[in-house]
Amino acid sequence: MRIVIAEDNVLLREGLVLLLTSDGHEVVAVAGSGPEVLPALLEHRPDVAVLDVRLPPGFRDEGLRAAVEARKRLPGLPLLVLSQYVEETYAAELLAGGAQGIGYLLKDRVGRVDEFLEALSRVAEGGTALDPEVVSELMSSRRDPLETLTPREREVLGLMAQGLDNTTIAGTLVITERSVSKHIGAVFAKLGLPPSDSGHRRVLAVLAYLNS
Amino acid sequence: MIRTSVLRSAEATRYLAEGLRTVLPALLGLVLLIPGLIVMALFPDAVRPLRALADAERRRAGRRLGREIPAPYQGPDRPGKGHPRDRPSVLWRDIGWMVLHGVLGIEAAVMAIALWPTIPFTLSLPLWWWAAPEGSQSAFVTLDGWPKALTLPFLQGGLDLFLLLWLVPRLARWQALLAEALLRPTRRSSLTERVERLAETRAEAVEAHGAELRRIERDLHDGTQAQLVAVALRLGLADRRFDADPDAARSLFLEAREGVEEALTQLRTVIRGIYPPILSDRGLAGALRALAAGQPIPVEMDLTGDRVPAAVEAAAYFVVAEALTNIAKHSGAGHAWVAVRRDGARLRVAVRDDGKGGADPGRGSGLAGIRRRVAALDGTTRIDSPDGGGTTLEVDLPCGS
Repeated sequence: MRIVIAEDNVLLREGLVLLLTSDGHEVVAVAGSGPEVLPALLEHRPDVAVLDVRLPPGFRDEGLRAAVEARKRLPGLPLLVLSQYVEETYAAELLAGGAQGIGYLLKDRVGRVDEFLEALSRVAEGGTALDPEVVSELMSSRRDPLETLTPREREVLGLMAQGLDNTTIAGTLVITERSVSKHIGAVFAKLGLPPSDSGHRRVLAVLAYLNS
Repeated sequence: MIRTSVLRSAEATRYLAEGLRTVLPALLGLVLLIPGLIVMALFPDAVRPLRALADAERRRAGRRLGREIPAPYQGPDRPGKGHPRDRPSVLWRDIGWMVLHGVLGIEAAVMAIALWPTIPFTLSLPLWWWAAPEGSQSAFVTLDGWPKALTLPFLQGGLDLFLLLWLVPRLARWQALLAEALLRPTRRSSLTERVERLAETRAEAVEAHGAELRRIERDLHDGTQAQLVAVALRLGLADRRFDADPDAARSLFLEAREGVEEALTQLRTVIRGIYPPILSDRGLAGALRALAAGQPIPVEMDLTGDRVPAAVEAAAYFVVAEALTNIAKHSGAGHAWVAVRRDGARLRVAVRDDGKGGADPGRGSGLAGIRRRVAALDGTTRIDSPDGGGTTLEVDLPCGS
């Protein structure tokens, strides 16, 4: 994949480049500050971009703003936003333009190389990758209706909201795909959501529910 | 015109007459001044009746002047809370007021009251002076023939009228001004008091800041640092075993990675405790909106967009975060309201809910933490939580100019 990186910290930037090139990807551009991000994306039209939220010159949320702007200019451009901390609000802003091809993860997750690369390719293919911490924040703010779910159903809901497909959920929970489908059906029925197939529409329905 | 003047004089007479309630005790104090001073030297509590008297006059004169007269007393001045302690100048000013108020107040009151009957009496003299027994009419005029009877009463009546309409209202005002001049804190004493209070809160703030630093140090030392040492240890072990037992080395690598993740999580918590990152990203209003979005109940917000110093923003954020956590955990509320507004050099934060109330500021680390954090910035905290009546938390933080 052709990838654009926006990260100001040299150590992390070099680490990311190393990680991505060793997995056979091509890093076509590296932006070190907020204002460089959009031109780099417009020029290179990458398969996916990895953006840090906090970038110079202001060290505030330049990366996030650039991501939101980029999605407006290049609809559907897959973006994976990384941050030292996650905020529900930021996730909501990123997802406002659609959950398709959006990832929002803690920087820590880079350490789990396989999972990180898996999330990156999921985003590049138009899927969603939401950090478990964002999902648990979302779920904790909708406590009451979620109490009707069994612990296992809550686990399945959380993994669905992160953007995982049935196969991965089954692998994570060490259960069969059949029982995953069964749990998902129960969750949708209990929350009063219309049944929907796997994929980003399902993520969207779950997130919309959690956010409402 | 005449009517309003007469009404004004009547009102002033009432004020002066009412003043007898403090004038008469003041005269009594004047009589007892010498033994009183000796008693006060031996028993500091003996100053209380004088204070009560002066306080009564402060209220009375303050009402007349339309502005509050603050008391210069400091330290415990309520009964049962230790002995009153004051700078001697305060006591001497109180005594000076007592002497002047007693001596002047009695005369002012007697004159104001007496003027009213005197005027009709004097003006009617020409009608009946001849019938009165010789030398018995009038205090100041002795009438012994018609020429005098037709002039002097009118002269005296005019003078009396002038005194009543012009002097009496002024006497009332002067009495109030005398009380204000002697009974309010002097510029010097109020400055002294302010400096003392600032020194006290500053010492508390420095202490609280020190405690905060120690807490952060402990969190980093016991948490993150220890965690990283354990990681380094596992990596070292993995290195030693790498050739002989690659499987064991691999599981040590994985443990090391988990250790690093744990350290990162702890570090994030510590950072949030020092200064929540979203505050520097979005400012106070943005950070609070993000906070409200994550609450299980609807939170209405009324926020100022003004930027205030970082320490104040951080404190305000913690107050609201802690309060909302409390509301979600304990109050059973269905709604919460957050208001933040800047009022000159103060930032006022109010968090209200419609829950079951009964929050006890003495118990629970949440409210104690709020108080500590606010006190460190020389702010004030007020909690109002009647049973069944919801809870209101009001915090007032100084934020420079």
